[in-house]
This record gives sequence, structure tokens and C-alpha cells, in this order.
Amino acid sequence: MVNDLTFTLVWGLFGWYGAGVVLPLGCRADSRRQNLLAHGCAAFGGMVGIVLGVVGLLASEPWAARSPSTIPLLTFAIRLDPLAAFFVLTISLAGLAASIYAIGYVRHFDGRASIPLLGSLFNGFLCSMTLVILADNGFFFLIVWELMSLLSYFLVVTEHEQAEVRYAGLFYLIMTHVGTAFIIVAFLIFFQGVGSFSFDTFRHPEQPLPEGMKTIAFLTALIGFGTKAGIVPLHVWLPYAHPAAPSHVSALMSGVMIKTAIYGLVRVYFDFLGGQFPWWWGFVVLLVGAVSALLGVMYALMEHDLKSLLAYHSVENIGIILLGIGAGMIFQSFGLKEFAALGLLAGLYHTINHAMFKALLFLGAGSLLYATHTRNMEEYGGLLRRMPWTGLFFLIGAASISALPPTNGFVSEWLVFQSLFLSFQIPDLLMKLMLPIAGAMLALTGVLALACFAKAFGIAFLALPRSSHARHAEEVPMPMRLGMGLLASVCLLLGLLPMVVVPLLDRVVGPFAQISIADQVVALDGWALAPVDVQFASISPPILAAMLIVGALLGLCLAVAFGGHLVKRYGKTWGCGINLSPRTEYTATGFVQPIKQVFSTIYRPTVKLETEFLEESRYFAKRRRFEFHIEPVFQKYLYDPVVMFFSTTADRLRVIQAGSLHLYLAYIFVTLIVLLLFAV
Amino acid sequence: MPLITPLIGSQLVDLGSALLLLTCFGIVAQRRLSACVDLFAVQSVFLALTATLVAFLTGIHHIYIAAALTVIIKAIVIPRILKRVIERLNVTRELVMNVNVPSGLLICGGLVMLAFFITQPIIPLGFLLTRDSLAIALAIMLIGFFTMIARKKAVTQVIGFLVMENGLFLGASAAAYGMPLIVELGVFFDVLVGAIIIGIYTHRLHDAFDSVDTSKLTILKE
Repeated sequence: MVNDLTFTLVWGLFGWYGAGVVLPLGCRADSRRQNLLAHGCAAFGGMVGIVLGVVGLLASEPWAARSPSTIPLLTFAIRLDPLAAFFVLTISLAGLAASIYAIGYVRHFDGRASIPLLGSLFNGFLCSMTLVILADNGFFFLIVWELMSLLSYFLVVTEHEQAEVRYAGLFYLIMTHVGTAFIIVAFLIFFQGVGSFSFDTFRHPEQPLPEGMKTIAFLTALIGFGTKAGIVPLHVWLPYAHPAAPSHVSALMSGVMIKTAIYGLVRVYFDFLGGQFPWWWGFVVLLVGAVSALLGVMYALMEHDLKSLLAYHSVENIGIILLGIGAGMIFQSFGLKEFAALGLLAGLYHTINHAMFKALLFLGAGSLLYATHTRNMEEYGGLLRRMPWTGLFFLIGAASISALPPTNGFVSEWLVFQSLFLSFQIPDLLMKLMLPIAGAMLALTGVLALACFAKAFGIAFLALPRSSHARHAEEVPMPMRLGMGLLASVCLLLGLLPMVVVPLLDRVVGPFAQISIADQVVALDGWALAPVDVQFASISPPILAAMLIVGALLGLCLAVAFGGHLVKRYGKTWGCGINLSPRTEYTATGFVQPIKQVFSTIYRPTVKLETEFLEESRYFAKRRRFEFHIEPVFQKYLYDPVVMFFSTTADRLRVIQAGSLHLYLAYIFVTLIVLLLFAV
Repeated sequence: MPLITPLIGSQLVDLGSALLLLTCFGIVAQRRLSACVDLFAVQSVFLALTATLVAFLTGIHHIYIAAALTVIIKAIVIPRILKRVIERLNVTRELVMNVNVPSGLLICGGLVMLAFFITQPIIPLGFLLTRDSLAIALAIMLIGFFTMIARKKAVTQVIGFLVMENGLFLGASAAAYGMPLIVELGVFFDVLVGAIIIGIYTHRLHDAFDSVDTSKLTILKE
């Protein structure tokens, strides 16, 4: 019964996405209809995917289907276990919102890009991401993984007439292929151990892999999937590619696509390797997570391109997710099953939360771009009045990413904190010390994220418009508001109802940790959350939210009751006699100046101030020019040398590439003859 | 007593193959493009005859179809396409070559010896009556390839390519009494499409460089 339902749903899902790929290209219609058709199909696919995810999470047994192929070692096998179902749900939720949003957003590409092609690629991208999650065969996984990378590349270069977009696309393409190469190595290690690409045989090898091989598989998977996820120092492509893509695609790439890498890591470490690993693996993951979280948010602070800023925040949040998973791995190695489950659960909770609020924020950034035609925050300002809905949704997203109650980011970050603080149970002094230090870094990350979004929201939405773009901005069309509103409400629901989410996540984590902790985490009849032990700590998001509301109302009542008479006076703000204009506003650069000073060792800023004085007197400046850059450390010291090496080698090898057809034919001819002579 | 004994049959197949090889040398020696196309058409007719002979001797019917298709596509359709290209572009002669005709012929002679030398250990292992043709088939392929390198005009390069294909066909008939029909059909289709594409490409080349000399393509390099 359930199997039949799952089967229908899977076919429905691929049917809708398939239709979305083919129909916009196939049928002749005006671009408005094609837009509706493409993104309508994607939205229906997303809805079916949500149902499929829920069914898969609730199912008692994994569902699998397979179809052989004529290519050796390749089987089109798909499998829906709770882990896959959870990620399908995440992808579909974000996909649904992004599709609805796209109906409005894609309109402004009319004339600049082919809308049917964009819609078709969008559907293909969603479909390939879902297939990556469902694939149950290593070969098949790699094919759909590559498909996902290529389709996202094509989507990134939608506006390929701009040189920077082409550069971003190329950068992304190279990085993702480097990553894929490492994933292939990891899978080949499993393959040579068992002689088959089926995930089932990876899971239950006849003889376990030798330790050395396991370690190589661990590292290659971390690098390979880490490149896609954007861990430091492999994160450099994110701030290029995510801003370059159309915003609804950035929302999916940043919100969901990088999560497929988290899926891959959990699948390899906990499923294939069965959770049997030395403690230092978890420590490496933890370290990578902590560094990514901190550096991600620090670089985000210095960004004034709203979408680049969000891209750096993806690095940060991937770091937070890895902190949870890394803590889980460490606990697993020491046999502390409950805590291992808690860490993993916290990481996965943050995965879906980040998918929701990051997609929401990218859609919000897209709305600002749609309304003002610029991504530079210094040109925004005062948009809350002109775009109240976008402002509200962006605020909810900003609160979530800054982990403020009562939003979802708060709950999952709290769980990550708790799992880090449980380290006193570990019988190893180093880990006892390191986990709380990671917790401290996470705390610093949280504070900086709050500062960053105070900047982003404040500069963009408050005060006076800083440019004519912002002055003439208008609220975005209905579908765009609908897409953002959907994600904003999901963000709030995930934050208010963790007692519903946690048992579902427990079903995901349970098979790997071999323990169920739902009853322990959801304490006090579902009103509170506790990190396994209710005595250690507990928190109740709904009560917290209620208190916030009651507190605010109480404050208002008190103010009204005892605040005396409210006198309204209208007048200009006094500015010491100077006319207050947008030029006197706090700039985004100015806002982060203190932080820049404090962390100048990390940023290595170069500041250039040129002043041109009046000829009459050196006391009056005619013009001032202020330039400020932070040093792109990773690009300068890690990537540039590698790029240099390859381009010089390529230049040398170019001699044999003379461009002559005859020479090329002669190469082939000589090779053929030499080989034939060898054969004799 | 059958009309043709296996011994005579095999001799006849060898004769047909030898005629194919002869036309190859003709193509290498010929400077006039339209004559090259004619020679190719003649070669294709010889190929069809040899294939018919093989079909008759072995009683494998689908080779008849392949032979008929050879005549239609390679002896009629493709030469027409090529001649039209030649007429329209008004290139009649190959004036400058990478390798001149006499040394080209010498090299081709060397290639034939090489082909016989390479196939020498294989041929005695075969038991088909067409087995001797394998060496000739290889020689034809090598000569076709060499033509592509030696000549500069796109049209002659197409002919070189098609000659290679003829060699391949002969090789398949010689070594295995032809490939399965579906493969043959696929190959014919490929060759036809290939010829059409190269015809268009030659036009484009002519438009872009005012010449069909493929060595001009080096300009495309940065």
C-alpha cells in the first residue's frame, strides 16, 4: 500500500519535472505562458516531492526500485530511506517556493535571456538534485551529480553577456569538477573493495576495508563533498557563482544544492562506513566546521554586495552544520550513542533550517535586485516603506540566520551548542577541551552574524534611500511575495514546532546511531527541548515565543498606561544646522569599521585615502576618495599559485597544438602506425 | 561442379581488392579534383562488385543490400555532392600539396608494404576465403589517411576520409563477411551525413577564408 503510494509519487515527481524540462522548449507560446508552464510544472513537482518526503519519513521500511542498464556496472537504482526522504523534503520545499517566486521574478529576464530555456534548465536542476538524493548506485550517483553540477553551471551563466558572470561560471565549473574528481576517488575505493557500485554492497562489504583505505575514503569524500558544500578553504567559488546566478537559482544553489554535499558526507560516513571511525575524523570535521563558520561570517561582514554576503553566510552555516555532525562523529567514536544522535540531529536540523532561511534571504535579495536593479547595498536604503512585504520576509529570514528566537535558526543552533557542551562526558582530555572551544567559536560566529544582518537589514531597509534606484523602488509582484511568504512561514513553523520536527529527524538519525532519542529530546510533554538530559538544559520555543509576545504587549500596555499623554510633533530632525540627506547616513562600510579594526590581522585591509584640496587653502578639501580592500588570502596564497602553475604548463604544451589540421592528422597517423608495429 | 570453385572465388575477391588499391594510387597521383571524385566513384563500384562476389560465394544475403547501398550512396550520391561543391567553389586543381605526388606515391608504396607486414601474422589464422583482402583493406585505410594529411584542399580531404571508409568496409567483408546489417546501415548513414556536413563546412571555409585550404585554419589560433 505504502509502496504503491511511494511508487506513484516518485513517478509523479519525475513526471512533473520531466514535463517542465520538455514542455517550455517544445511548445510555441509567448514567453509569459512558457514561464507559467515551466515554473508551474516545477511547483507541482515540488508539491509531490514534499508529500514524497513526508511519506518516506513516516514509512517503516526504505523503499527501493531498480532498472538494469546496458552499461556495465551501472544500474538505475533509487532508494528512499528516511535520510533521503528528509533531503527530498528539504529540496522540494525550497523548490516549491523558488518556483512560485520565479513566476514573477523571471519576467524581468524577458529579452535578456531565453525564458523557456531558463525554465527548462530550472526543472532539470531540481530533478537532478532529487535524483542525487535518491540514487542507490555509485555510478548512477556520479552521473546525476555531474548532471546537477552542469545544469547549475548553465543556470549560473544565464547572463553570459557579462564578463564577470562568465568568469564566475568558469570558476564554479572548475571547482565543482575538482570536487567531483575527489568523490570519484572515494567511490572507487569502495568499489575496489566490493567489486560493485551498488550502495547496498558499499554498506555491507563482504570484508571490511582496510584502515588506510578507509582514511583515504574519508579524506577524499571530505574534500570532494566539501568543495560542493563550500568549506574553507574550498569555499572561494560561492561568492562568485551564487551572486552571478538568477536569484531564484541562487536560492536553490545556496539553500539546497550545497546540502546535497552534506547528504553525501552523512551517507558515506554514517551509512557506508557504518559509523565506525577513529575519533580524529570527527575532530577534523569539527575543525573544518568551526573554521568555516567563523571565517565565513567574517568575510560576509565585509561584503557590500548583498548576494555575495549571503553566499559567505552559506559558508558559515555549512560550518555550523559540520560542527553538529563533527560533534556527532566524535561522540560516535567514543560510543556515546545518545550524544552522537543528538549531534547528528542538530546538524540535520540546521540543514533544513538553513535551506529555508537562506533560500528566503536569496529570494529577498532577488526582490531587492528586481526592484532596484542593483546588488550594491550602499545604493539601497529606506526600502521598508516602499516594499513592506519584502522587508517583513527579509526580517524573518535575517532573524532566523542570526539565530534569534522564535525562529528556526535559534532552535537548531541551540541544539548544536548543547551537543558541543556535552563534551564533558568524553573520556578524552583533548576532546573535552576542544569541543567547548568550538562552541566558543560558534558563539562568536552567532554574534558576528547578528551584526552582519543588523547591517544588511538596517542599510537596505531603514533610513533614507541612498540612490534614485531605491527612491523609485516598488513592491514586487504577487508570486514573488508568495514564494517568500511560504518560506518565511516555514521558518517560523520550524522554530515554533521543534517537537514535531525532532521525532521526524530522529527517524533519520536512528538507523545510524542505532538509538532513538526523540523521547529524551522532546521533554515535558512536548513543550520543551532538552539535550538528551532534561536536567542539563532545556528550552521551550513555543513558551519563549509566547513570552516574547506577551512581554512586548505588556510593555506596550505599561507604556500606554503610565507613559502619559502621547504628543505628536512633526518636524525636521535637527542635524547641527547641516541639511540631513542620504549622504550623511551611516554607510555599510562605516557600520563594519569597528569589526574591521578588531580583526585586522585576519582581514589585512588596505585603506587608501586620497584628498584633493582647494587651491586657496589646505583647510578645505575639494574631493576625497576612500578605497578599502580586504586581502583575499585564500585566493592569493592558495589558488593563484595553482592557477599559475597550470597556465604556464599549458603554455608550454601549446607548442604541439599548432592549430594545423594536417599536423593533428599526422599525430594520429603516426600513433596508429607505431601502435600497429608494436602489435606485430 | 559449381560455377566458381572456392579457389577461383578467392582469387576473384583478391582481384577486386587489388583494383580498389589501384584506384587509391590513382587518387594519390591525381591533381584534378573532379578526377579524384570520379576515381572514388569507380573505387566504390569495385567495392560493391567485390562485396557482391563475397555475398554470392558465401550466400549471406544482407551483403547484397550493403553492396547496393554502396553503389547508390558512395558511387552516385556523394560524388554528386562533391562535384557540386567543386563547381560552385570553382576549385579544380590541387596546386600546392604538403607532400608532392612522386614522394606521395613512394610513401603509399611503403604503406602497402607496412600493411602486408602487419597483417602477415594474422592472415594464416583466418579460414575465410576473403582473408587475403585484409592486408589490402588496411593498406587502403592507411593510404586514405595519408591523403588526408598530404592534401590541403578540403574536398580531397573528404575523399581521403571516404577512401578510409571504403577500406574499412572491405576489411569488414574480408575479416568477417561484413558487419551485421544494422551496423552497415548506421555506417552508411554516418558517411552520408559526414559528407553533407563536410560539404557545408567547405562552403563556410570558403566564405570565411576565400579558399578551401584547410591549412588556413591555423589563423583561428589565438
